[in-house]
Amino acid sequence: MRESWDRCIERAQQLANADEAVRPLLAFYGALLGLQKVLAVGLTPNRDGPPTGALAHDIELLRPGIAAFLGSIATGGPELLATQARKLLEGPQKEIDDLLTTCWNRPSDRQFFAKAVLQPYARFLAEAGVMPIDRQLTMAQNRCPFCGGVPQLSILHDAGGPLEGGGRSLLCATCLTTWPFRRVLCAYCGQEDEHKLGYFHSPQYDHLRVDACDTCRHYLKTIDLTRLGVAVPLVDEVAGAALDLWAREQGYEKIELNLVGL
Amino acid sequence: MDISRRAFIQTTLAGGATLTAFGFDVTPVYAQARTLKIARTSETRSTCPYCSVSCGVIIHTLGDKAKNAVAQVVHVEGDPDHPINRGTLCPKGASLQQDILNDRRLLKPQVRRPGSDRWEDISWDQALDEISRRVKKTRDDTFIERDDRGRVVNRCEGIAFTGGCTDTNEFNFLVVKTMRSLGVCYLENQARV
Repeated sequence: MRESWDRCIERAQQLANADEAVRPLLAFYGALLGLQKVLAVGLTPNRDGPPTGALAHDIELLRPGIAAFLGSIATGGPELLATQARKLLEGPQKEIDDLLTTCWNRPSDRQFFAKAVLQPYARFLAEAGVMPIDRQLTMAQNRCPFCGGVPQLSILHDAGGPLEGGGRSLLCATCLTTWPFRRVLCAYCGQEDEHKLGYFHSPQYDHLRVDACDTCRHYLKTIDLTRLGVAVPLVDEVAGAALDLWAREQGYEKIELNLVGL
Repeated sequence: MDISRRAFIQTTLAGGATLTAFGFDVTPVYAQARTLKIARTSETRSTCPYCSVSCGVIIHTLGDKAKNAVAQVVHVEGDPDHPINRGTLCPKGASLQQDILNDRRLLKPQVRRPGSDRWEDISWDQALDEISRRVKKTRDDTFIERDDRGRVVNRCEGIAFTGGCTDTNEFNFLVVKTMRSLGVCYLENQARV
């Protein structure tokens, strides 16, 4: 279940207008989604052929969009990212290639540029059904079945009626693929003792909740589409930034930071 | 740019601003987080007690696990991962929460006298006395010590007992012991799980 880039951008604008506190975050994230969309468009099959699933080859398809991407962050991003973007723009091309290759083989939520650039690439591969062929990642129940990525968030789906319980999916932080995942189960350590799993909910965010595990002290946010069907999980997760800060204060660590660093 | 998880939230001393790992100022969000009213719920897997299908349910219980807090069931839904019902529930199963929380639950015994058109409240002592007397009378009137061929059977055919689907194992154990000691042989319950 992947929302189109346009739908994500539209939702980011909508939520930015609705909540003043998270407006700067969502304004940046909306712009970032626009940049990711440009990168994704650049991956459509052209004279160089379609992406092959090997980043060493496909990086040529990404390269034209990367300069514009970095330029936009250098001018419109927060100072920390802007400085880094300028450094990458001024440095040798190999530095960017190495950054992307390293993160392709060892994804990290702390590498903003690599994650932001590789997300549309991995999503393109997933949608085209082209398996990544130059990386070996752990495959597990809590890892994306397509690319082995860790979950960014969890989703409760409307199963079809008010009498039916919502099924749960995880959304991959790398390729944005969703895959079914059991309820009452920690997405990080696999804890299934219900006494050690807490679900934190605030009336201010009716369709969001924090799924936390008292064993591993990790959490991720769940977007409950049975409560708000028009929500776009990737964007609504960013809009619930206050829940991240609250969870952090309670001593929980997020499984995967999102692209605004929360 | 490799940022330590420990540096997830940084507070700059100069401006007092709260920054995320990527340098976003989240001071207003931090203020918003301070106003959140957060409730902790837990999800518990269980089995619907109402019929032999044995659908899986998830029971949502509100409570922060504090010693002086009483946990409260706030929602019951079908278990989407259960192989039998895959998240679906019949209307009766979907109302399972009301089996636990129901302001229409009877809290005292009631009786409707012969010829009366209404139920009247009676005390527990009175109810037990009346039931005891009627059980004794019915048993004495209908007790069969020997069958037609003279064999000892010691059975009471004038009383039957039926239990409900939410009766516990312990309750049913006591029912069987009590009814068998009276000689009751028409004994059934709806416990399926």
